[in-house]
Amino acid sequence: MLWYKSWLETRWRFLIGLVLLICSALSTVFTYPQVMKLLPMAQHLPVNVSGEIGRRIREAVELSRSFQGHVWSNWFRQNLPQTWTLFAVLIGTGGFLSHSTGGGTLFTLSMPVSRNRLLGVRSTMGLIELFALAFVPSIFIPLFSPAIGQHYGVGSVLVYSACLFIAGSVFFSLAALLSTMFSDIWRPLLIALAIAIGLSIVEQLSQISFGIFHVMHGESYFRTGALPWAGLLASAALSVALQYAAATNITRRDF
Amino acid sequence: MPESSIIETRDLHKVYDGVEALRGLDLTVPPGSIYGFLGRNGAGKTTTIKVLLGMSHPTGGEARVLGLPAGSTEVRRRTGFVSEEKDLYDFMTVAEMIRFTAPFFPRWRAELEQRYLRKFELPADRKVKALSRGTRTKLALLLALCRGAELLILDEPTSGLDPAMAEEVLQALVAHVASEEMTVFFSSHQIAEVDQIADRVAIIDRGKTVVTGALDDLRERYQRVQMVFDGEAPQAQFRAPGVVRVQRKGRMLTVMTSGGAEAIVDEATALHPVSVDVIPVTLKEIFLETVAAED
Repeated sequence: MLWYKSWLETRWRFLIGLVLLICSALSTVFTYPQVMKLLPMAQHLPVNVSGEIGRRIREAVELSRSFQGHVWSNWFRQNLPQTWTLFAVLIGTGGFLSHSTGGGTLFTLSMPVSRNRLLGVRSTMGLIELFALAFVPSIFIPLFSPAIGQHYGVGSVLVYSACLFIAGSVFFSLAALLSTMFSDIWRPLLIALAIAIGLSIVEQLSQISFGIFHVMHGESYFRTGALPWAGLLASAALSVALQYAAATNITRRDF
Repeated sequence: MPESSIIETRDLHKVYDGVEALRGLDLTVPPGSIYGFLGRNGAGKTTTIKVLLGMSHPTGGEARVLGLPAGSTEVRRRTGFVSEEKDLYDFMTVAEMIRFTAPFFPRWRAELEQRYLRKFELPADRKVKALSRGTRTKLALLLALCRGAELLILDEPTSGLDPAMAEEVLQALVAHVASEEMTVFFSSHQIAEVDQIADRVAIIDRGKTVVTGALDDLRERYQRVQMVFDGEAPQAQFRAPGVVRVQRKGRMLTVMTSGGAEAIVDEATALHPVSVDVIPVTLKEIFLETVAAED
């Protein structure tokens, strides 16, 4: 029944995320013909736009010349990780301590269940939902690509989605940890989002070739075919550490 | 700790952010009793309950419930609990709350559930957040009573209820306890309701037990000896054990005692008053006198 409760607590966040991401995935596919039409015009873009913005524009134009590049650039590098990270934080926030997620903290704690089990069920349910958010919308891309005369491999979808899920789970675990430290929903949400946005900006501005978002994008796989094993392992380890910290914190906390 | 105690605390301490909520609380709740836990707001009643159920960790001392360490999973399996806020899941319906709770308790009483659903007229399909305070309390009580628990812990069960609803809840509780073998431990600052249903009480103040015992016993032990003098009442010191408070007002000298009136009357006679009367005291007076004596 704890699973049922966790589902009831998070279902709307999950379902809204799923619908948004599916729409976004379909839009990535069905806007490609339009992008193809606009590509010749991109030749006339001012070439003197310098710095990171200019580099990004030129790169986006180059990537859009192939459907594989367009999908990676727009979906796996941009829309999916951004929206997914937002929902990872939203789903990770709250938990059984938060009054903002329907109350009942003392009632839950009066149940013959350990706090670690409560946290474990909540985290597992969140991770299952995030797994679905990472994979299900992305599967729509190979499914609908033939409708515009393109092909996209299911294998690539699985690799990029796995990278996103494993590395991005850090933000879910961070939100879960922060939720054991604050009893409201807003502080964990805002702090976790601020950290995610901050990291994203730092990675983009510093042009470093590593970092959590690079792992989430599966950039090394796209560019060289190599999986970012070190990044994936480091992210998974960090995620486990954050969950462990959340469990430790919840065990010793007073209510 | 004696095996026969349902709840036993020894020198229990709890400090929250430098504030001492419990300062050496001693408590013994015998089986089968309806135990009223009285105290002013902030006296440490809710903290004690939270420690017993493992929601808070004690900073010192010992607490056992049903012979087990307080807060263990097994304690919660065998205990029914209603929180002061009637903290339930707002996003569930009444039926969902029951469906959610029942599987955690192997001794869940399905027939009682049906009986209380009818008796309390609980709307099964209504969301908890849409329930009135009274109906919410009834649902919380149903969820606690149907657990098949040996111990019922209620934190201010009638707080926020109008007198009629409070009476209905108390009557349901008394009727339930009369038909089941269980111990009830309930906190309150409503002296009248403790007086109405409890057979034993503990009064706590600033995290310490100041009075404890069977209600009938307390009524016998606590008495007021009132002396009237011809002129101004004399300044007097009473050596008899159990003197709670001595009040001198004009020609009248009043002694509140917790050790029986006999010894006080003997001492009073030596002061040559015009009259000496022994007046029984109510639980409210015991509460006010003992808590005031601590100030």
